Amino acid sequence: KMATLVPEGSVWDGILRHMGAEWSDRTDGQVKLRLYPGGVAGDEPDIVRKMRVGQLQGAALTVAGLSVIDEGFEVFELPMFFESYDELYHVLDTLRPDFEKRLEAKGYVLLNWGQGGWVHIFSKKPVRSVDDLRSQKLFTWAGNDAMVQLWRRNGFQPVPLAATDILTGLQTGMVEAITTTPLAALSLQWFRQTPYMQDLGFAPLVGATVMSRRAWRKLTPEQRSALLEAARETEKELLEVIPEQDEKAAQQMAERGLEVVAVTEAQRAEWRAASQDFERFKHGSMKDTALLDKVRSTRDAFRQRQAGTP
Amino acid sequence: MKRFASAFTRGFDRFEGILGGLVFLAIVALMTAEMALRTGKGVGVPGALPMVQHLTLWLAFLGAALAATEGQLLSLATGQLLPEGWSRRGAKLLASAVAVAATALLCQASLEFLLLEKDFGDEVAFGIPVWVALLVLPVSLGLITLRLGWVAGGWLGRAVSLGALAAAVALGRHPEVLEGAPMWPLLALLVAAMALGAPIFAILGGAAVILFLGDGVPMAAVPVETYRLATSPTLPAIPLFTLTGFLLAEGKASERLVAVFRAFFGWIPGGTAVVAAIVCAFFTVFTGGSGVTILALGGLLFHALSTDGYRERFSLGLLTASGSLGLLLPPALPLILYGIVAEVPIPDLFLGGVLPGLLLVTLIAGWGVREGLRTGAGRAAFEGRAAFAALWRAKWELLLPVFLVVAIFRGLATPVEASALAVVYALVVQCLVHRDLSPTRDLPRVLRQCTVLVGGVLIILCVAMGFTSYLVDAQIPSQLLAWVVEHVESPLMFLLLLNIFLLLVGCVMDIFSATVVVVPLIVPLGAAFGIDPIHLGILFIANLELGYLTPPVGLNLFLASYRFERPLLEVYRAALPMLAILGLGVLLITYVPWLTTGLAGLLR
Ligand code: NA
Ligand code: NA
Repeated sequence: KMATLVPEGSVWDGILRHMGAEWSDRTDGQVKLRLYPGGVAGDEPDIVRKMRVGQLQGAALTVAGLSVIDEGFEVFELPMFFESYDELYHVLDTLRPDFEKRLEAKGYVLLNWGQGGWVHIFSKKPVRSVDDLRSQKLFTWAGNDAMVQLWRRNGFQPVPLAATDILTGLQTGMVEAITTTPLAALSLQWFRQTPYMQDLGFAPLVGATVMSRRAWRKLTPEQRSALLEAARETEKELLEVIPEQDEKAAQQMAERGLEVVAVTEAQRAEWRAASQDFERFKHGSMKDTALLDKVRSTRDAFRQRQAGTP
Repeated sequence: MKRFASAFTRGFDRFEGILGGLVFLAIVALMTAEMALRTGKGVGVPGALPMVQHLTLWLAFLGAALAATEGQLLSLATGQLLPEGWSRRGAKLLASAVAVAATALLCQASLEFLLLEKDFGDEVAFGIPVWVALLVLPVSLGLITLRLGWVAGGWLGRAVSLGALAAAVALGRHPEVLEGAPMWPLLALLVAAMALGAPIFAILGGAAVILFLGDGVPMAAVPVETYRLATSPTLPAIPLFTLTGFLLAEGKASERLVAVFRAFFGWIPGGTAVVAAIVCAFFTVFTGGSGVTILALGGLLFHALSTDGYRERFSLGLLTASGSLGLLLPPALPLILYGIVAEVPIPDLFLGGVLPGLLLVTLIAGWGVREGLRTGAGRAAFEGRAAFAALWRAKWELLLPVFLVVAIFRGLATPVEASALAVVYALVVQCLVHRDLSPTRDLPRVLRQCTVLVGGVLIILCVAMGFTSYLVDAQIPSQLLAWVVEHVESPLMFLLLLNIFLLLVGCVMDIFSATVVVVPLIVPLGAAFGIDPIHLGILFIANLELGYLTPPVGLNLFLASYRFERPLLEVYRAALPMLAILGLGVLLITYVPWLTTGLAGLLR
């Protein structure tokens, strides 16, 4: 039994079901996936809790749920920490064993990295400078108080709401800006209320498929490697399909009146500085900063190498 | 020794009441402070949101434990239909024993959940671990178990309850005995106990636990869902709007409102009946169809109607029906609950409910006019000066809905924040402006009564979530969807079947657990047949509103029988014409979607 927030019938749903079919094929029907999509099993913290009590055996989570399991994953919530898929996947691949160890210690097995797309800022008034965003009321998820505080400390105006209240919040003006992926903005119709999308990426929506160790132990070594193999193939497929889908969504929205706001080089530097402020705050509030430090140094080493190669 | 014991119980009881009231005030204080401090560039109150969510969990379970003490846990009360004597005593014994066993199972399940959370060490805020917040679950459920057993009916009842408790503990120790076993004998026992008067929450929770155990899923799966609902960011709106209603009903607000509506509508034929319908609707909007309206206003309005010469049976029927009028008008509790469960925007439901809600009020008021014309019951002359004086006196009460509508629809506050503002507003109006309510003498009493009522409702919602979680786990919604899509062809046919189904649900279930259990089943169906999600919500609540009046299980029927001291059968008969009129309204709401969607269309 595996739960996820991805909507039923979406690209992700299809890919996960395909993975389930592969699991069944490659284990002669010994492992069958029963998927609970679309949040029917609750939000991600609820899903994690259901894995703890043993009601569910697995989940395809985003950072929101992964951070409930281990705070080390909060690094992926930091705005503008990563600037490209290359950077992100270099870190994810290089540090896979570190993240695996973290999850292992909490009783979970990492099957693959997921990919939700790249989050952008969508807003009612164009957001170029950091202050442009500070002057608008920003949706933040009511289930994540730490993030609300992080925004506030840095002079932003977060408005914590339940996810279902986003569209109404945008309509009544309770919120004026949201951070989301182009695919979500299109399919949930949020973009009609937020005619501006910033071209600077905000953050990747990192995810992972995890399984509880209790369930994992019940599998034979052959079954385990079959499951891992299929899961890794899914990981590659997601990385191919999702960025493409995001791009298509952005195009479709642009045809329907969405304006992509370009950021100047000077403003980009300003955003980087703000991002470092966020990182410092996060660093100060974390109990164990080893993973955050390691992620940063891996990213910086990659950036230097990229800058070195012409 | 005995005196010491009773002093101890009374002291403990008072302590619980005070604790419940403090939790209530803490929720309001945190939310208002957060709203006040975050405007502009303020920082707000860090951790306010998670604190409020967990305090709501405390409120629910403290309130439920208090409700158990006062015998106020909601139950179907069909046991009342049995003749006095051995059959009623036997029924009580069975119902109590099953309730004790079910509550004991829930208590163990929540303990299991708590211990797991303790291992993981999550935090609420300010360094308070989640498991500490969860302590309220096993403690309250344990208290409820003991209290249900203690009042089971003399020493024989206590002995039987002890046996039931032992059986539940044994089952908790060896849950594997149920795995794969046939579930129907136990489920039949639970249903029988519910019909005989066991508390609804115990039966729903007990059923969820044994169904999960039958599938080999640990019983902690039930409290996980309880925790999920109790800590949902929108849930606090339910206790807070209820408290607003209590504060208004306690002061002389009801008299001021009756006066103002009488001054303006008293001159038309059937004026007093019309006034009764409007005032009841106004209060039910806040008290949320929990029956408070009949209890608080019934006496006053019944007296007014009989003074003006209305027939007793008419008055009885009118007031019984009016106790649930207004459930569709914002910010009524069922709208909020539906929004949480179906995950649709609550302000949209508020807007959608306005015309259907007014339609039902108009239908009942129209029946009152007809009665007025037929019997020539007393009418008052319209006096402009007096009318405006009455209007002026009731201005604060009348402005409350306006204030809320502006706050929510201008994007100044979420429905939850608006509910906290409503409490502050009602407190200021009742304690400071009108001075109807003494903060030291009356407020603690009102807070306690409200805690009891809210606890009785919230605990049902919380465990009903566990039952729904079983349905989802067993993939019943998707199976039902596949079946219905295959066998039902047109949306119209679907709506007709839905009407019949919901009427049956309303006959046997209360509106709260019905929403939590049934909505996840019908939402995918509605989507498959292209029914507007807001229309589906409104027609769902409208259909269940009928359930308040349908025998055998209709909350309003029992409350009216209790409040007006009339036999249940007489109340059934008196409510029958109202049931027919409201049924007509419900059909209109179901088949004329414009009633729901029209207003939003005009405004946007
Ligand atoms: Na009923
Ligand atoms: Na009912």
